[in-house]
Amino acid sequence: MKVRLDDELCVGHGRCYALAPDVFDADDQGHCVLRFDDEDLPERFVDVAKQAVANCPEDALAMEG
Amino acid sequence: MIDSAAEVHPEDRAANPYSSVVAAHPQPFYARLRDECPVAAMEGMPEGVHIISRYEDVKFALKHHEIFSSDFVAVDIGQDRPLIPLQIDPPEHAHYRRVMDPHLSAKELAHLEADARRLVNEVVDRFIDRGECDFHAEFSMPLPCLVFLSLTGLPLGELDRFLTWKDNIIRPETFDMDEAAAIRRQTGADMYAFFEDAIDQRAANGTDDIISRFMKTEVDGRLMSRDEMLDLCYLFILGGLDTVTATLDCSIAYLAQHPDHRRELVDDPSLIPNAVEELLRMQTPVMQVLRVVARPHRMHGVEMKPGDHAVVMLGSADTDPGEFGADADLVNLHREANRHLAFGGGPHRCLGSHLARLELRVALEVLHERIPDYRIAAGADLEYSPGIREIKSLPLVFA
Ligand code: HEM
Ligand code: SF4
Repeated sequence: MKVRLDDELCVGHGRCYALAPDVFDADDQGHCVLRFDDEDLPERFVDVAKQAVANCPEDALAMEG
Repeated sequence: MIDSAAEVHPEDRAANPYSSVVAAHPQPFYARLRDECPVAAMEGMPEGVHIISRYEDVKFALKHHEIFSSDFVAVDIGQDRPLIPLQIDPPEHAHYRRVMDPHLSAKELAHLEADARRLVNEVVDRFIDRGECDFHAEFSMPLPCLVFLSLTGLPLGELDRFLTWKDNIIRPETFDMDEAAAIRRQTGADMYAFFEDAIDQRAANGTDDIISRFMKTEVDGRLMSRDEMLDLCYLFILGGLDTVTATLDCSIAYLAQHPDHRRELVDDPSLIPNAVEELLRMQTPVMQVLRVVARPHRMHGVEMKPGDHAVVMLGSADTDPGEFGADADLVNLHREANRHLAFGGGPHRCLGSHLARLELRVALEVLHERIPDYRIAAGADLEYSPGIREIKSLPLVFA
């Protein structure tokens, strides 16, 4: 499974990196940065990644695959 | 209890969100708005003020600045220019946020946690031995102000002066419109003069606080102007104090009346970050944000014209079962999906949201560690103010 980010939509609520710091990081501005960009997520992070995706108020994140 | 749903009048598609009944218990009001008139007119106001209430519509309004613009000086709140970034639209808006956000990001503020914890403890020290307090006056009011002073490197002794300014601007003690405007203008002038001094001092002695950092910040290849700096200080006071106060009031009033939830937090403090989000959702202390219609737009059969105003009801979006499910009206400290809009959304997402979250989390942690058991004093009548839901007096008794 992969996680996708739409940079255009992210405005830096920071719910993702607060909930799943192993999967998401923040840039200077506090916008989301993927730790596994275009890579499959390690199995152990899949659940917490899904939870973060479900908490992004901008619909900037999605799970894929 | 008087039912706030009575403030919605579907027969003439009108509603009044600014009543104390709604502020105290807004959920029935919100539900009726969403169900029976998703675009309502403001009761008693001239035509052209539209209340938007469903989650999807609220989100649409927040994201579409080309239709729902922030580019207006909404009311005379004592400032000279549009407030940056609140009253600026994209794309210009992004130039400011790009340089402002880094100073208020979660990572940048992490160092403030120890300070915040110390301040919360000091505030609690002042009343804990009494076994009771007015939580609003003794905790929720001073705390955000003290955190602001510490963030800006101003003396904590300025607390009272700040509290007075803030009240003069947000709730001038008069019902006379002209008098209120005069109080705001005078207070605005006093505040600007105070911050002029603060900025001069910083220019002279390079200190490291948020004002000094903003002074070194470039926007579009130039330093922020003095006017922009002053406006920013003004906006922090306007947007960063009462909002946190209201969130603390609403959250603690809820927990005082729901001992099961409170006990969960005492037993497992790791739930607190989630509780902060869930209480923000359920209470949505900033009930609404305002926009001005920039382009003709039709929503649920209602025509909106350029120049019309939109009251974008964050609180009703945040309790919409369409988004949050059948238990949208209940606090669930274990809620899995919580895309609440208590800090707004889209480009104007609250610049202070990470600071607010830090304050709220630390406050709930320290309070429940030191005062695990509290309730509302018998006979107390909680009066919530509309718009930003502060509670005028919140008497608590500790067990
Ligand atoms: C729990 C506390 C808070 C709540 C509920 C809250 C809520 C909001 C909301 C709903 C907006 C969006 C306004 C709009 O879309 O028109 C906003 C914007 C803003 N808030 Fe907060 N706020 C809080 C705390 C703070 C703090 C502590 C600060 C100060 C550092 C702050 C500074 C701002 C600023 C500067 C904006 C304008 C952002 C922009 O327009 O780009 N807020 N806030
Ligand atoms: S939660 Fe969404 S909007 Fe917020 S930082 Fe993460 S991706 Fe961006």
